[in-house]
Amino acid sequence: MIRKREGPARVEREAAVPKLNRLFLPLLFMSVGALQPGEGLAQETPDDGFREARERLVREHIVDPPFGSEYAVRDQDVLRAMRTVPRHRFVPEELVRVAYEDQPLPIGHGQTISQPFIVASMTELLGVGAEDRVLEIGTGSGYQAAVLAEIVDRVFTIEIVEPLATSARARLAELGYENVDVRHGDGYFGWEAEAPFDGIIVTAAASHIPPPLVEQLRPGARMVIPVGPPFQVQTLMLIEKQADGRVVQRNLMPVRFVPFTRAE
Amino acid sequence: MRRFPVSRLHAAILLIGALGISYQITLMRVLAIAQWHHFAYMIISVAMLGFAVSGTVIALLRRRIEGRERPLLAAGALALSASLTTCFVLSQLVPFETFRLTSEPAQLRHLLILYLILAIPFFLVSWCVALGFLIEPRRIGRLYFFNMLGSGLGAAAVVALLFWVRPATVPLVLTTPAALAFSLAAGGLGRRWQLGLVIPAALLLAAGLTTRGQQIRGSEYKGLSHALRLPDARVVARSQSPLSELTAVASTAIRETPGQLSGYPMRELGELPEQVGLYFDGGSVSAVSRFDGALEPFAFLDYVTGALPYRLTDRPETLVVGAGGGIEVLSALYHGARHVTAIEVDPGVHALVREELREHSGRLYEREDVTLVLAEGRGYLEGRPDGSLDLIQFALLDSFSAASAGVHALAESYLYTTEAIQLYLRKLSPEGVLSITRWLKTPPRDAIKLFGTMVEAAELAGIAQPGLHLAFVRSWNTGTIVLSRAPLTEGQVGSVRNFASERGLDVSYVPGIRRTDTNRYTVLDEPVYYEAATALLSDQREQFYRDYAFHVRPASDDRPHFFRFFRWGSTGRFIEGTRHGWFNFVEWGYVALVATVVQAVIMGFLLVLLPLILFARGSGSGLGAAAVYFAALGLAYMFLEIAFIQRFMLFLAYPVYAVAVVLTAFLVFSGLGAYAADRRLAAAAGEGREPLRLVRVAVSLIAVFGLAYLVVIPAVFRATASWPDPGRVALSILLLSPLAFFMGIPFPAGLQLVSDRRSRLVPWAWGLNGAASVLGAALATLLAVHLGFRAVMVLAFACYAVAAVALGNIREWTEA
Repeated sequence: MIRKREGPARVEREAAVPKLNRLFLPLLFMSVGALQPGEGLAQETPDDGFREARERLVREHIVDPPFGSEYAVRDQDVLRAMRTVPRHRFVPEELVRVAYEDQPLPIGHGQTISQPFIVASMTELLGVGAEDRVLEIGTGSGYQAAVLAEIVDRVFTIEIVEPLATSARARLAELGYENVDVRHGDGYFGWEAEAPFDGIIVTAAASHIPPPLVEQLRPGARMVIPVGPPFQVQTLMLIEKQADGRVVQRNLMPVRFVPFTRAE
Repeated sequence: MRRFPVSRLHAAILLIGALGISYQITLMRVLAIAQWHHFAYMIISVAMLGFAVSGTVIALLRRRIEGRERPLLAAGALALSASLTTCFVLSQLVPFETFRLTSEPAQLRHLLILYLILAIPFFLVSWCVALGFLIEPRRIGRLYFFNMLGSGLGAAAVVALLFWVRPATVPLVLTTPAALAFSLAAGGLGRRWQLGLVIPAALLLAAGLTTRGQQIRGSEYKGLSHALRLPDARVVARSQSPLSELTAVASTAIRETPGQLSGYPMRELGELPEQVGLYFDGGSVSAVSRFDGALEPFAFLDYVTGALPYRLTDRPETLVVGAGGGIEVLSALYHGARHVTAIEVDPGVHALVREELREHSGRLYEREDVTLVLAEGRGYLEGRPDGSLDLIQFALLDSFSAASAGVHALAESYLYTTEAIQLYLRKLSPEGVLSITRWLKTPPRDAIKLFGTMVEAAELAGIAQPGLHLAFVRSWNTGTIVLSRAPLTEGQVGSVRNFASERGLDVSYVPGIRRTDTNRYTVLDEPVYYEAATALLSDQREQFYRDYAFHVRPASDDRPHFFRFFRWGSTGRFIEGTRHGWFNFVEWGYVALVATVVQAVIMGFLLVLLPLILFARGSGSGLGAAAVYFAALGLAYMFLEIAFIQRFMLFLAYPVYAVAVVLTAFLVFSGLGAYAADRRLAAAAGEGREPLRLVRVAVSLIAVFGLAYLVVIPAVFRATASWPDPGRVALSILLLSPLAFFMGIPFPAGLQLVSDRRSRLVPWAWGLNGAASVLGAALATLLAVHLGFRAVMVLAFACYAVAAVALGNIREWTEA
């Protein structure tokens, strides 16, 4: 079973937003508008009133993360994608104001939208380019798929929770991502018809990595899996299928923060 | 002998005592289901808030209450009967979510609201009892007896109730005794009072009834919530016990395995068998696989690290600890075990596999070569003949996600202590092996602590070179450590290496390992596990424990907190990591406990200081002494109660019954002690020396019995471990009764003295003691984590001594 950690609910949002917030939201948007005159939520161009916020996010948390330059994301394509994709369109309305903070957010259905830094890191780790086809298991809000879509040729993404799949499909279409295919279903068996893939992202760890996914990985390609409880990533698993078909896994740990033994 | 005077008041107080504890136990279950079980501590502090505040409020309103104690008590009982359901329903409307605490300040507000709502019933319980003391100021001990008797019976009753009523329904069930308590309390009042109280009572009861079918608001991030969102998910069965609520969910998308299937050729060997997922309290999962007698579909079980011991044994007589849905049992059968004894502690699992899932599971537990035992692993093994097992295999007892969230940080586990490992070794045949698999956490800690525990236990068991008996393999998410009773032969070492290379697993330790042998398939930046294993086997062990960022020193029976890894010395590093989001180390259980203690201490100060200021004028000296007396007693009582419950749980082997038996015996015998004290004091008729003498005798006897138990009980338990259950239960009650009896004396004796001298302080003293006892419960656990249960007992004796001294000062008070 794959549990997803991402997912939104724009379609469901009406029902989900408590009354208080509905009263409060216009105020919130007014204040956003006041800070950034001439901008509205509905605009779809990159300069949508949040461009500055995105720039700041990329500058302060992704290019130069506060916890050490060795974690910096340097891939120019990834950085461009992070500067372009409107994350505020992927989060519930009441969280729009914090959409460009570097933190995971709840999006309903027990799912979260990952921390931007993690999205950028995972995308960079995949090492994919303009010609590539990528499979994502766990569409969630569709944010990760959108980031990938800015970089690669085609993105295939599978979501097991139907409302999430529906809303992500609608959202991605609305934002003009025509190279993303969203499917509602069980991601365990991958997307056989479109295999092999040049990269696979599985958005949450389960008790085991589905063997069919490893099979659908092209030799030389990589799979990335974030591991940790909700709202936390404790490690990134990187699975590399070598040219001879041998599989090597790397456990990328944040050793810098918790040295296993004291430094002396 | 005089006739036992049971008045309506006493009956009401008995019921209210029973309600207080039942509600507390129920809420602990509710929060375990809704969120995680460490919220048990939150309920403890919620109860404390209610107790403390009500005592102080009554003390402050003393003048306005005077003369109206009875109607106010009745009103309290009425409000209580309404609040049980109302507060429960309200609490379920609060959108609190543990996982969001770190990222969302609003969650703290939700938590606070939850606190206040749930504290109301406890406020009312305490309100009624404190007013009872004011109604019968000369017979404190007698009233206290009824309160304690009620608590004892209530604990037993609610445990029984939870076998067939869902926790969400219990508050409604409790409304009936609450209403009865109200009618008893209102019985002696005039008609006007009765009418004025009965009409709202009827309305409130009706309101309560409309809440029938109330569901617990479960966290959307728990396993069950996820499972229910799967496309074809359906609940196929439910079962419940006081231990857990068990939900069985069928879906084609449920595929739980005991860890990574490393290199499993699914194309050749086939997909996994269809599974039903079992969710305990909506959280950790165990799977029941479809089984028709054919073992071939279970070939995948040879591709997890847990298959290692089968490479070292031949047709082993096997014991599976934590059998759950049976996947490890199937693994044992697949690997050719001669016979499997499956130990499962949760009666709900037994019920499910015997009934609803009987055919699905292929009557796995009814096979001739499988024996299912309802017991806790350790207790069962104590009674089993030495040398009778070839393999003791631990199933992965928890889900991967719960393990990584650190929610079990404070759970006592007697399965992973050095004493336990020594016991396992005794039960193994000369060539037998013990195998334990754990989910690996990042940064590494569980498996390292387990390895150290095995090394130390082996040494204690007389194995000169543990390094020759151990093997450790890992995948990316599980680690299996095997401890063999005999040194591993060359052939066995080869088997370990072959198994690992066939499956693409890393060997972290095996006799003769070299650094280059390790860290090949799941590559860590450093071969951390290898380095830890070799350090633990060298003379650098102490150094390693000291320097490692986590607490990885082995757990012992005195400090059985295997899952606690937090070290205060590393706090700075942890906070730094959390602030940056990337790494987020929070041991929720530990945080909840520390928060409870801190909150309790702050509140305790408010509670002591506020009345001290308000009453100080005209009260003369001695108020401080009273505060010390009642606070020390509250702490001491809970310290001993919790420490002894721990000891007896291990002995009785069935945690549910153990808690019920021990708690009930403790409370009832303490109540009897209070009753005896009351008789003595009534006979002495206000003689000021009598309470002090009584308390001194009681405290001395508590110390004598307590210290004697500390020394004698381990031997007694070992000698009687193989007794049948009723025998051990009877022995437990026999051992506990004298201690509990004497522990019941000091509180009512002191309260009687206060009542005689300055009766308006009684509610304050009662509230203070209540708050201190609840703080004691949380503090006992925190102290046990760091110092061990033995130290907790010693501290309890010290508290009793302090109390005895303080009482001398109270006696100096002049008659009011």
